[in-house]
Amino acid sequence: MSGAAALLTLRVNGDPVEVAAPPHWTLLEVLRYRLDLIGSKQGCDKGDCGACTVQIDGVPALACLTLAINAQGRSVTTVEALGQGPVHPLLDAFDRHNAAQCGFCTPGILMAAEALLRERRAPVSRSEAATALAGNLCRCTGYTKILDAVVDASEVLSRGTGATAGEPEGGAHG
Amino acid sequence: MADGARDPSDSPEEVGGEPCDLPEAPEEARREPWVLGKIHRKVDAMERMRGITRYTDDLKLPGMLHARILRSPHAHAKILGIDASAALAMPGVFGVVTGQDFKIPYGIIPWTPDENALAVDKVCHVGDGVACVAAVDEDTAIAACRAIKVEYEPLRAFFDPEEALKSRDKALTINPYSRKGNLSKHVRLEFGDVDGLLDGSDVVIEGEYFFEGTTHGAIEPHCAVALVEPNGILTVWSATQVSHYLHRELAKVLQLPPHRIRVIQPPLGGAFGGKSEPFDLEFCVAKLALQTGRPVKLLYTREEVFYSHRGRHPMKMRYRTGFRRDGTITAVDAKTILDGGAYSSFGLVTTYYSGQLLCAPYNFQAYRFDSTRAYTNKPACGPKRGHGSVQPRFAIEIQLDKAAVALGIDPIELRRQNDIGPGTRTVNEFKVGSNGFQECLTRVEDASGWKTRRPALPYGQGLGIAGSTYISGTNYPIYPNEMPQAAVQICLDRSGRARIFSGANDIGQGSNTMLAVIVAEELGIPLDDIRVLSADTDLCPVDLGAYSSRITLMVGNACLEAAQRLRRKVCESVARRWQVPRRRVVLAGRMAIDGQDPDRHVSSAQAFQWAEADHGLLGEVGSYNTPKDRHGDYRGGTIGASPAYSFTAHLAEVEVDAETGVVVVKKIWVAHDCGKALSRRIVEGQIEGSTYMGFGEALMEEHVVDPAHGGVHAGPSLLDYRMPTFTDTPEIAAMIVEAGDENGPYGAKEAGEGPLHSSIPAIANAIYDAVGIRLDRIPFSPPRVLAALRERAAREARGELPPHKPGPAPQGGAA
Amino acid sequence: MLRLPQFEVVAPSTVDGVVEALKVPGARLIAGGTDLLPNLKHHLDRPPRLVTLAQVSALRGIARDDDAKVLRLGARVTLRELSEHPEVRALFPSLAHAAGHVASPTIRNMATLGGNVNLDTRCRYVNQTELWRQGIGGGCYKSEGDVCHVVPGGKNCVAAMSSDNVPVLITLGATIHLVGPEGARALAMADYYHADGLRHTHARDGELTAELRVPYPEGPRRCEYVKWSVRNSIDYPLVSVALRFDLEADDPRSAITGAHVVVGVLGARPRIVGKLEGALGKALADPAVAKLVSEAAYAQCKPLPNVPYDPAYRREMIRVYTRRAIERMAAE
Repeated sequence: MSGAAALLTLRVNGDPVEVAAPPHWTLLEVLRYRLDLIGSKQGCDKGDCGACTVQIDGVPALACLTLAINAQGRSVTTVEALGQGPVHPLLDAFDRHNAAQCGFCTPGILMAAEALLRERRAPVSRSEAATALAGNLCRCTGYTKILDAVVDASEVLSRGTGATAGEPEGGAHG
Repeated sequence: MADGARDPSDSPEEVGGEPCDLPEAPEEARREPWVLGKIHRKVDAMERMRGITRYTDDLKLPGMLHARILRSPHAHAKILGIDASAALAMPGVFGVVTGQDFKIPYGIIPWTPDENALAVDKVCHVGDGVACVAAVDEDTAIAACRAIKVEYEPLRAFFDPEEALKSRDKALTINPYSRKGNLSKHVRLEFGDVDGLLDGSDVVIEGEYFFEGTTHGAIEPHCAVALVEPNGILTVWSATQVSHYLHRELAKVLQLPPHRIRVIQPPLGGAFGGKSEPFDLEFCVAKLALQTGRPVKLLYTREEVFYSHRGRHPMKMRYRTGFRRDGTITAVDAKTILDGGAYSSFGLVTTYYSGQLLCAPYNFQAYRFDSTRAYTNKPACGPKRGHGSVQPRFAIEIQLDKAAVALGIDPIELRRQNDIGPGTRTVNEFKVGSNGFQECLTRVEDASGWKTRRPALPYGQGLGIAGSTYISGTNYPIYPNEMPQAAVQICLDRSGRARIFSGANDIGQGSNTMLAVIVAEELGIPLDDIRVLSADTDLCPVDLGAYSSRITLMVGNACLEAAQRLRRKVCESVARRWQVPRRRVVLAGRMAIDGQDPDRHVSSAQAFQWAEADHGLLGEVGSYNTPKDRHGDYRGGTIGASPAYSFTAHLAEVEVDAETGVVVVKKIWVAHDCGKALSRRIVEGQIEGSTYMGFGEALMEEHVVDPAHGGVHAGPSLLDYRMPTFTDTPEIAAMIVEAGDENGPYGAKEAGEGPLHSSIPAIANAIYDAVGIRLDRIPFSPPRVLAALRERAAREARGELPPHKPGPAPQGGAA
Repeated sequence: MLRLPQFEVVAPSTVDGVVEALKVPGARLIAGGTDLLPNLKHHLDRPPRLVTLAQVSALRGIARDDDAKVLRLGARVTLRELSEHPEVRALFPSLAHAAGHVASPTIRNMATLGGNVNLDTRCRYVNQTELWRQGIGGGCYKSEGDVCHVVPGGKNCVAAMSSDNVPVLITLGATIHLVGPEGARALAMADYYHADGLRHTHARDGELTAELRVPYPEGPRRCEYVKWSVRNSIDYPLVSVALRFDLEADDPRSAITGAHVVVGVLGARPRIVGKLEGALGKALADPAVAKLVSEAAYAQCKPLPNVPYDPAYRREMIRVYTRRAIERMAAE
C-alpha cells in the first residue's frame, strides 16, 4: 500500500543505482529494505540517535530524516563502503580498541568519524572527536573506547601508514 | 573473522607469549598465558563494523509479512469488545490476533505467570498490546490497526504504589491474575538483633531515598521474525537475551511441544536487561506465522520499546544504619516500596534482591529488610543492569557518607574499616569467596589524589566515594531443575580450527569472544581460528541466557572444562608420536611444542589430525553447575546467592554551579574486582559502559508517566528520554583489580553490572563534598540541586548550619 | 518503525517552480527535513504534497551586499555552513554561535536556515505519536483536539518557538525575504512572529522563505547567544537568550548606545525584552547594566510548562544566563 513509486537514480558507495521507491519512503528504508544495505541502522525512528548516519555527498546525514527522493542524483556513502578493500584505519582502530560492543550504533559513528578525519587530515583531540560525534548515541561503551579509537585512527591516517595501522601487512593467520 | 581482520598476535602489544621457562607441572606443562588476560580483537566486531552482520531487523524472508500491534491509549480499562472485521477485510491484511488467541498467561518467573501476549479482558498501562495485524507491509498493518474498533470501559488508574496498595476495591485490582489486590510481592527478612543493636549504637543515621525509574535504552529496538516450515517447525528469530526462556514460554503459550520450536538470537544491538524475558511481539509473530503460513516480522517503534520497558523499579527506601563511634556498622534496617508497574516480570526476584544483595562489601552485624512491590498502571519494571540492588546501593552509600561526616571519619577509611573481607559469610548467610574491595578503594583513592586534593578543593568542587558488590550469576536457575546451569560443546577439525557451540547470548558484552579466548588459551590457537556459534536452540546446548552477570563464570567454566578435555586428547596424541610424557607437550602459537625442546613442534592442524586419528572426531562437552553451599538456610535464602562476588569502588569528581544547580561530573575513577580479566579491554569496556549508565541515571534519565494526563509516558523517545551524549559523559578511568576466585574460570568473576552501582552514590557524595547538600533522590537535575542549595542557604542563614567550605561564599540565586 | 504518511513529492528546480508547486492546498515545503519529517512521522499533519527544495540550486549562497550593507543568507544554507562561514563569524558571532549549537552536528549538516526560522512551535503535548496523544484524551489545538494541556482552559495554542537562531536574528535587526504567488516581500524578523502556536509566523499560504538579510554592524558592539539544555547536544533549548549591545567605542567600558535582548522558548513568539532604556548611556561593564537587563528579562518573560523542566526554574535561569552573558561581554 503505497503511492506511485518513483524511480530514483543515485550513487551508492560509488555504484550507480536505480531504485524504485514510494515517495514517502526515507533514504534509510530504501537502503535497508530495497538495496539490502543493512549497515545503516534504525534506532529511534526520528533523528534522535544517529544510528542511521550515512554520508550524502561526503557529509554526514541522518538517513531516517532524508526523503529517499531527496537523494536523487546525489552520492550516498554507507558504512559498507568503509568495509570494502583493505581494512580502513578507522575500522582497524575500533577493532583494536574494542570500541564496538553491540555494534549497533557503530556504523553511524564510523560515518560521522570518517567525515571528521577526512576533513581534518590531522590528529584530532578527544574533545574535538566528542564534539563531532555528539549526534550519535552509544549505550554500551560510555564513549571512552570510541574516542580512543578515533584519536588513534586520526594519528594513523595523518602518519599516512594506511590501513595496516602500524602492524605487519596482512594477517599471519588471516 | 572477516577477511582482512588480523590476528591479535600481529601486534607486539597483543602477542601471546612464546613458550619459555616451562616449569614441570605434575599433570602437564604450563606456560605463560598465550592469549588469556591480554587485549583481543573481538571475534565478531569486524563484521558488525562493516555493516554485514545481520541483526534481527536485517533478516528478510521471501513472502515476509509485517506486523504491528495496536496498543491501548488507556492506563486502566476493561476491554468490552474488539471488532477487527474491517481490518481483516482490507486488501493486504493476512491476519489479526487478539488476547483471545493467547489466553495462557506467561511470566519469566514460573511462580508469577501474570501477563498475556495481548490483553485478554483488560489493559493495564498506556501502551499495553491489544491486537496485532500481519499485512503485506507496515503501512498496511498500521492502517489495519487503525480500522480495529476496541470498546474500552476506563477504570481508575493507580500511578502511586502506596495508593495502589491501599485500594481494597477488587474491581480496581490492576493485574488480572493477582490474588492479593495490588500487592505483587512482599519480603521481610531479619538477621540478628536489629533493634537491640540499633538501640545500642552510638550514632544512627536515618534517611529516606527515592530512586526514580530508568530504562535500558539499547539502541536496537526489539524485533522478532517467525517462520513456519512445511514440516511444521516454527523458527523464531528474536532480539532476546534469553533464548531458552523464550523457547519455553513460546511452547507454553502456543501449546506446541518445545522440539517443534527453534529460537535463534541473531547478533544483538544492546540489551542491558531490557530483552531478558519474552515480549508480546515474539508471541504475535509466531502465532501469525502459524496462522498465515507466511513469515512474519515485527519491529518495535522506539515508543513501543519504552512501553515494554522492564527497566529499573522506582524505589522509595527508608534506611536506618547504626554505627559505633569508631565507625563500625552495627545494624541496618531497610524498608522499601517498589513500584512494579502492571506485571510481575522479574519482580519477585527484584523484591528479594532489593534486600538480599546488599550484605557486602560491608559487614552488617544485624540486618532487616522489608520490601513491598506494588502493581501500578505503568509499563512493567524488571531487571536493568544491576538488577534490584542499584537502588538500595544508592541509599546505603549515602548513609555511609552521612555517617562519615557525623563521626568525623574519612569516607574511604569508613568503608575500608567495614569491609567484610574474603572467605567469609554475610549476615544473610551468603558465602563470599574472593574479595578485592580493599584494593579497589586504594586504587581509586590513589589515582584521584583523594588525600591531598579533597581537602584543598574550593566550594563548588568535590570528590565522592562509593563502593558496591554484585553477583556472578545466581546459584539457582529461574525454574527449579537439577541440570547444569551452563553447557558448551566444542569441536576441533582437521584444519586446526575450533568450533564452539554455546547457548549463551552475546548481547554486545563480548561473551562469544570470552569463550573464544578460553578455547584459544587451552588449545594454543589464535582467536581467528575459532568460530563461535551461539544462541540457537537447534544447534547449541541449553544456556539460561545473558542475565545476572552469569556468563563469564558459568559458561566460561563449562567451556573451560570442554576445552581442557580436548587439550588433553591433543597433547596425548602428540606425546605418543614424539614418545614423550604428555606433560611436555605445550599448545601455543598455533603449534604443539615440545616444552623441553622447543625446536620440536608441529602445527595445530597436524596435532588435531593426530588426535582425530587416535580418538575419532574431536568433540567434547563441558557443563557447569553451581556449588550448593553458598546460600542461606531459610526461605528465600537461595535468592541472590552466587558462586562469586565482584567488588567495585567509584570515586567521582564534580563541579556544582551553585547559581544554576548544574552539576558537571568531571571525572570518574572506577576500580573493579573482576577476579581475572580474561580479555582486558573488553572488561574495561564493561566497567566504562556501566559507569556511564549510572552517570546518566544520576544526572538526567527519568522513566516516568504523567498522572495528570492519563498516565502517558513523559516522553517515549530518545529525544525526551535523555541519555548522555559524547559531550556530556565524563572522563572515565577504569582500573582492573584481580582477586581471583576459586569458582571462576581462571579466577574470573563478573564485570558487566557491578561497576554501575556505586557510580550514582559516588556522584551524590561528591556533590555533598562540593556544596554541602544531600540529594536523596535521582536524578540530580538542576532545579532539584538548586532547591537543595537554597534550603541549605536558608539553614545557614538561620544559624543551623555553618558554611559548608571555607572560601568564597556561595552565590545567591538572584542575579 | 514510525512511518511517514503518504504524500506525493515534487522537486522543482527553480524558485518559481516551487511557488507554483505550493499552490496545491496543504502542500508543505521540505528542505533539510529535520523538523518536518519527525512531525509528519508523528502524524501532526498529512500534506497531500511535499515540495522539495532538493533540486533548487538557488537560495544556497552567503553573499555580501556592500551597497545595502547587509549579508544575504540563502534560505537553503545549512546551519553548519552558517556557523562556519567566515563572514558570518566575523560580522555576526552570536549568529554563528547559535547556529553552531543547534541540536547535533548531523542535524546541523541537514537543517537549513530557512527551515530553522520557520521551525514549527513545539510542545510536550504535541510532539508525540498519535497513540500518545490519544492517551492524553485526544490531542489539543495543535493536533487533533480542541483543548490546551499547557494552560487549562486556554483558548489558543502556546507551543514554544524553539529556534536558537530566531532570537539572535531579531537582535541583529535581520529581515526575512519571502517569495509567494503574489510576489516577493520582506518583513523584519522582529515582526515575523505572532503569539499563535498553530501558525506562529506571518508567512502566507504558498510563500517560501528565500533569504535572510542581516545588516552590517554600524559601530562597535557586543553580541551573545546563551542557551541551556539538559544535554550538550541533540536537545532543543529550554532557556534561550540573545543579546546585543551597541557601544560608543570598541570597549566594554564605553557607553551603551543600543540594547537588544530577545528570549526564546516561551510561547509561540519570541519575547523582545523592553524597558532597557535605563541601560543606555551606561558602560556595558557597569554591574548595574547586568542587573537591570537581567531583571527586565526576568520580569517580562514567563516560561510555560509547554516544554520539560519547571517553568519557575527556567524563568530564574533567564535572569542568571542573561546576567552572566553580560558579565562575560563586559570582561572581554
